[in-house]
Amino acid sequence: MSAVTATISEDKMGTARAKPAQRDEGARLGFRLTLPAQVLVLFISAFPLLMQLYISVTDWSPLSGIGWWNAWEMWNSFANYTDLAADTRFWSALQRTAVVMLVCVPAEFLLGLALATLFADDFPGKRIFYSILLMPMMVVPAVAGYMFFMLFQSGGPVNDILSRVVGGPVTIAWLSDPTLALIAVMIADIWQWTPLMFLILLAGLVGVPEDQMKAATLLGANAWQRFTTIVLPKMKTIIIIALAIRVIENFKIFDTLYIMTGGGPGVATETISVYIYKVTTQDLIWGYVAAIALAILIVLSIVAVYAMKRLAAARQGA
Amino acid sequence: MKRSVPFEIFRYAAILAAMAVTLVPILWMVSMAFKPIGEWSATGADLTWWPKHPTLANFQFVFGHSTNDLIVALDHTALKPILSSLLSAVFGTAIAMSAGTAAAYGLSRFGSGQNLPLALIQLRLFPPMAVMIPVMIMWAFLNLNDTWWGLALIYGIVTLPFAFWLMKTFFDDMPREIEEAALVEGCSRLRVFTRITLPMMRAPLASAALFVFILNWSDYLIALLLTTREWVTIPVYMASLSSSMTGQLYGAKAALGLIAAVPPVIMGIAIQRHLVRGLTFGALKQ
Repeated sequence: MSAVTATISEDKMGTARAKPAQRDEGARLGFRLTLPAQVLVLFISAFPLLMQLYISVTDWSPLSGIGWWNAWEMWNSFANYTDLAADTRFWSALQRTAVVMLVCVPAEFLLGLALATLFADDFPGKRIFYSILLMPMMVVPAVAGYMFFMLFQSGGPVNDILSRVVGGPVTIAWLSDPTLALIAVMIADIWQWTPLMFLILLAGLVGVPEDQMKAATLLGANAWQRFTTIVLPKMKTIIIIALAIRVIENFKIFDTLYIMTGGGPGVATETISVYIYKVTTQDLIWGYVAAIALAILIVLSIVAVYAMKRLAAARQGA
Repeated sequence: MKRSVPFEIFRYAAILAAMAVTLVPILWMVSMAFKPIGEWSATGADLTWWPKHPTLANFQFVFGHSTNDLIVALDHTALKPILSSLLSAVFGTAIAMSAGTAAAYGLSRFGSGQNLPLALIQLRLFPPMAVMIPVMIMWAFLNLNDTWWGLALIYGIVTLPFAFWLMKTFFDDMPREIEEAALVEGCSRLRVFTRITLPMMRAPLASAALFVFILNWSDYLIALLLTTREWVTIPVYMASLSSSMTGQLYGAKAALGLIAAVPPVIMGIAIQRHLVRGLTFGALKQ
C-alpha cells in the first residue's frame, strides 16, 4: 500500500531539476524511511484489533486455562455486547466521564483564556510568572495524584486552610464522600491542565494583529467588543484545537484520579478508564473487556473522522 | 498598548493568586519530603507548613538505609524503579525518535507514507486502556511482561505520533536549498539526510527528544498493567510505600515524588519554546 503511495506521489524535493533516476531513488528511500513507523503502527493496530474482535465474542479470560487463540471454544454469540448494553455500571461510568469532561474542560478553557489575556502584552516579571504557571502540566500526573491525595486528607492542608478561613476546625473527609471525592479529582485535573490551555491560547492570542486592535479602539470599540469581534474570530481554529486536545485527553482520565480515589468511594469516581482497568485486573473477564474496548474504539473513530472533516472544512473556509 | 494603573494592579493580583494556587500543591510536596516522621504524620491542628527540623531521612529511607524513626523496612529500595523508569523512558524515546524522524523525513521530502499522519493521530486518540488487552496478551507471548525493554517498546509506539508530527513540522519548515545543492554536487539522498539534514537539525531533534522523554517518563497506566514486580517504574512503586503498621508513608512518597517530578519540569522549561508545537501536533507554532 505505502509502496504504491510512495511511487505515485510527487517528489517534493527539487522535482523540476531532479533526473528520473534521482526521483526513483527518492521514492525508494522514502519508502524505506517510513517503513519502521508503518511496521510499528501495524503492529499496534491491525493485529491487536483483530485479536480484540476475536476475543470479544467469547468468554475468554486469562484464567480459562486455554490460550487466547483457542478462545472460540468459549464462543458466546455476542453475549458480551448485549451484556454491555445492559451494564449499568458501564453506562454510569460513561456518564461520569462526561460530567468530569463537561466541568473540567470548560473550567480549564476559561481560566486558561483569562490568564492568557493577562499575559497578552509585556509587563515586568512576565517570563518568570509564565514559567512557573506552566509547571503543573509538567509534573508527572501520577505524582500529582499522590500530591492531591495528601492535600485532601481530612487532617491535611486543604482543610487547614479552610479552618483558618472559617476560624474553627474543619475535618471534611474529601476523598471518602462521593460528591466531594468527584470534586477533588476534578480540582486536581483543572490544576494540572489549565496551564496547557493557557499555553496554547496565549500562543494564539499573540498572533492577533495589533493594528486591527488599535483601529478598533480608535473607532470606539471597548475591550469586550474588541475581544468578541476581533480576537475570538482570529483564534477560532486555535480554540478548537485546544478544546479538542483536552476533550481527547480528559476522556482518558486515569492516573491522578485512580491514585487519589481508586474510583471510590464505591464507584463514585469511577470513570470509563478506571472501570475498564478494574474489569481487566480484578474481574479478569477479558472477553468482556475486549467488547467494551472495541465499542469505545468504534464510537471514537466515528467521532474523530467527523471532527476531522469539520475541521478541514473550517480551515478551507477560513 | 498602554494599560491603566488599575488594570496593572488587577493583573498582578490575579497573577499572584494563580501563582499561589499553582505553587501550594508543589511546595507542600517539597515540604513533606524534608519533614521528619513526627511532622509528616501530623494532622489537623499539629500540621506544620514548613519543616521545623528539616531532614534527609525520607530520601535515605527510599534508598534503603534504614532510619531510626521508622520501624518498617522496605522489601525493595527505590533504586531499581528509578532505573526502570529511566531505561524504559530513554529507550522508548530512542525508538519513537528514530522511527518518527525517519518517517517524518520520508513524508516531508518524498511524500511517502501518506497514511501515517492520520493513522498516528488516531493512535493518540484512543485511550490506552482500550487497547491494553491485546497488548498484554502479545507482551506475555513475547516474554516482554515485567521488563524494562517491554515497556520501552510500547512507550516507543505510544509516543511515536508526537515524535513524527514534531519532526515533520521541523522538516517542513527547513529551507531546502542546502539539500538541493548537495544533491547537485552528486550526494546520494540518504547521504544528504544523514550527513547534512540531521546534523543541521540537531537542536530541533534534541527538543523533540526531550518532549517525548517527558511523555514516556510520565506514564503510569501502561507500567501499572505491564510490570508487576521486577521492573516496576517509580509511580507504580510509590503505591507500595505504605504499610499496615504505619499507614501511608507520606514522607517517603513525597521524597520519591520529588525525585520523579524534577527532571520533566527542568526539561519542560528548557524546551518551553517548542511546547505548543509539540502539544498541538505541530498545528501551532509559537
